[in-house]
Amino acid sequence: MPGPGNDVVRGASLVDRTTPAHRVRARSLRARARWTGLAFAAPPLALYGFVVLWPLLQSVQYSFFDWDGVSQATWVGLKNYTGFLTDPVLRSSLGHVLVLIVFFSLLPIALGLLSAAMLTRARQPGMGLFRWIFFLPQVLTSVVVALMFKRIYSSEGSLNTLLDAIGLGGLTRAWLADFTWALPALGLIGTWVTFGFCMVLFISGTSAIPDELYEAARVDGAGAVREFFAVTLPGLRGQIGVALTLTITAALRTFDLVWVTTRGGPGTSTMTPAVLLYRAAFQNPDVGRAAAIGVVMAVVCLLIALAITRITEKD
Amino acid sequence: MHITDMRRAAVAGAFAALALAASAACTPGGSSASSTTAASDVSTDVAAAGNVTIKVSDFWGSAEGEWMTSLIAGFEAKYPNVTIDRTQEDWSQLLTTLNLQLTDADGPCIASANNGWASLGTLAKGGLVRNLDDYSKAYGWDSLIPATIARQNEFTTDFATIGSGSLFATPVARVSMIGLYYNVDKLKALGLKPPSTLAELESAATKAKAAGQIPFAYGSQDGGSAILLGLQALYGTADSINDYVYGDTAVSAKDTGLLDASKELKTWADNGWLTPGFEGVDYNTAVANFVGGDGVFRFEYTGSLGLSADQQSKFGYIQLPQVADSATTVGVGAAPGAMVISAACTHPDVAAAFLDYLMSTQAAQTAVDHGMIPLLHSDVTVPASMGTLSSEAAGAAAVGASDGFVPYFDWSSTTMLDTITAQMQQMYAGKTTPEQLVDAVDADRKTGLAGRAG
Repeated sequence: MPGPGNDVVRGASLVDRTTPAHRVRARSLRARARWTGLAFAAPPLALYGFVVLWPLLQSVQYSFFDWDGVSQATWVGLKNYTGFLTDPVLRSSLGHVLVLIVFFSLLPIALGLLSAAMLTRARQPGMGLFRWIFFLPQVLTSVVVALMFKRIYSSEGSLNTLLDAIGLGGLTRAWLADFTWALPALGLIGTWVTFGFCMVLFISGTSAIPDELYEAARVDGAGAVREFFAVTLPGLRGQIGVALTLTITAALRTFDLVWVTTRGGPGTSTMTPAVLLYRAAFQNPDVGRAAAIGVVMAVVCLLIALAITRITEKD
Repeated sequence: MHITDMRRAAVAGAFAALALAASAACTPGGSSASSTTAASDVSTDVAAAGNVTIKVSDFWGSAEGEWMTSLIAGFEAKYPNVTIDRTQEDWSQLLTTLNLQLTDADGPCIASANNGWASLGTLAKGGLVRNLDDYSKAYGWDSLIPATIARQNEFTTDFATIGSGSLFATPVARVSMIGLYYNVDKLKALGLKPPSTLAELESAATKAKAAGQIPFAYGSQDGGSAILLGLQALYGTADSINDYVYGDTAVSAKDTGLLDASKELKTWADNGWLTPGFEGVDYNTAVANFVGGDGVFRFEYTGSLGLSADQQSKFGYIQLPQVADSATTVGVGAAPGAMVISAACTHPDVAAAFLDYLMSTQAAQTAVDHGMIPLLHSDVTVPASMGTLSSEAAGAAAVGASDGFVPYFDWSSTTMLDTITAQMQQMYAGKTTPEQLVDAVDADRKTGLAGRAG
């Protein structure tokens, strides 16, 4: 990952290629630069270490124990981790997260790209208003969003009223209580929330693409579709990377939506790792298991972020 | 290997080594459980303690909170040298933070915990709350508290078993139960008398359904286990349910009436006796529906309907007798909180006196005055205007007469409530059978017991 440390190292390898006569001087300069840099970075690093790294290490430690959070813990090795393979509920929660990634990440990004492409092709007055409207869900508190959709999806909610009104009364159901539909219904809430964010991100990205590229594409006879794939999409690579990272990690962490609406039900059909983590940590004191879930989620998030950065920042 | 890669590997290795060292060096968790109260002298003399302030944290709001406030006022009037500093917190808020609060040197001296392994068991095992055996002897609590209620607060001091051993919490002079509520006007309009057996209840439900009424107001979206546990108490004996919950492996879930109760409930759901679309109705909506007049019956925890003074007498309460033996009444019932004294409390004598006061006749009478069901004392006066309360008190008395109090079934393991809730939802959807529900309950308890043994 790029960072100040790497820059120092890269600089060092450049200096190393200079002639032997300059080496000693260069090395002392290099050392001083490193210490000055470290001195500047020390206070934030210490704070970061205290509030992030130390608890992280503690979680890793806890994850090897069977611990109720109060009394003496017992070492259980990797037992908390093997739960991901043996516990059907935990295993299925990973599958649910994959479904949620489609709704929280892939769908909003596809829709965001589409709308960004359409909006940039034909700039209309009042576009700012549309952007603002679509961005609105992003500024609402997630609990408010969840409560709102809980009503919309309920037996007497507006979704069923609408279906009745257009003659599709046969489809009505309590959406969040249906074993088949509860997870997609939750996912669509996520789509609704993140779509506006993706769109605004992509529109601001397209404004950075030089108009000349579009003109050149048009001169070359490219249609709307061709133009999108040849100019807009490559130009938005960085933004897509950001959107992917943020939305996928959001999907992995899904807790509030599920907790407020279904608590993982019906059955365990909307259970996510984050809900299981909360239950293990705070309701059924099993801190080791909670820590193991947390560690796995953190590692998966990190790997995804690294992979996305690698792919989207490559030239 | 490139030099930067090597450095990265070295850093990663150092972190891994550090993490391992941290893991190996110390084991999380404080002192191992030991009873710290061995030969300490206890006193029942509150006045001798001088001017003291006792911090109390509890989870009682609205009417229950008023009950607590008036008892604090009464205690402070009785002992002017004592100030009770009360903090009221939301139920789940208090229960999820109580272990941290009791570790804090400035934390509460008295707190309301929840019975069972998850809350009280964890606190007792962690040595955070006091063993109350010495105070029990000093105040004579062992003769005041009925055995079935006392068991709910007992653990053996090796913390392998719940339901026997030392007393780690006290009840209060009121009880919370599961029973059957009915809408008085609706039942009258149907031309029916309040059912006195399960068979009569079923025939009443059939008639209500035929008359276009909702027989049972219900919702299962975020819980709704009261109906199953209420039915279980009609089939299972008090001993079998008690023993099962307290971890007796000789008893399996189908011996506790759970299978019969699940089958019965599934039939009710299939008959259309539950609120239409109940799968998508959450708990609060279900309660509001019933109080608002949608539904003739509802199995519910007492005190959860939130009846106002003028709604009293609009709803009646029935504690149905057992199916096999109509002379015996078994009911899920417990004090609505397990009062603990923090191990760090510097004035345990005063704290114990307050717990004793919470179990006094006066506390029972104050409970009735605030519309709640008394426990421990029968010499209380229920005002005639409180129709619902007098039927509830009669139900509690019937259970008491049969010595039929059984604990909440979900105390049998820390994950039991989640398991039952999920299994019930699957059963309604036809994804599991009542037999599979019972098996899942056994499996859950087995895992829980194995975790405690290991």
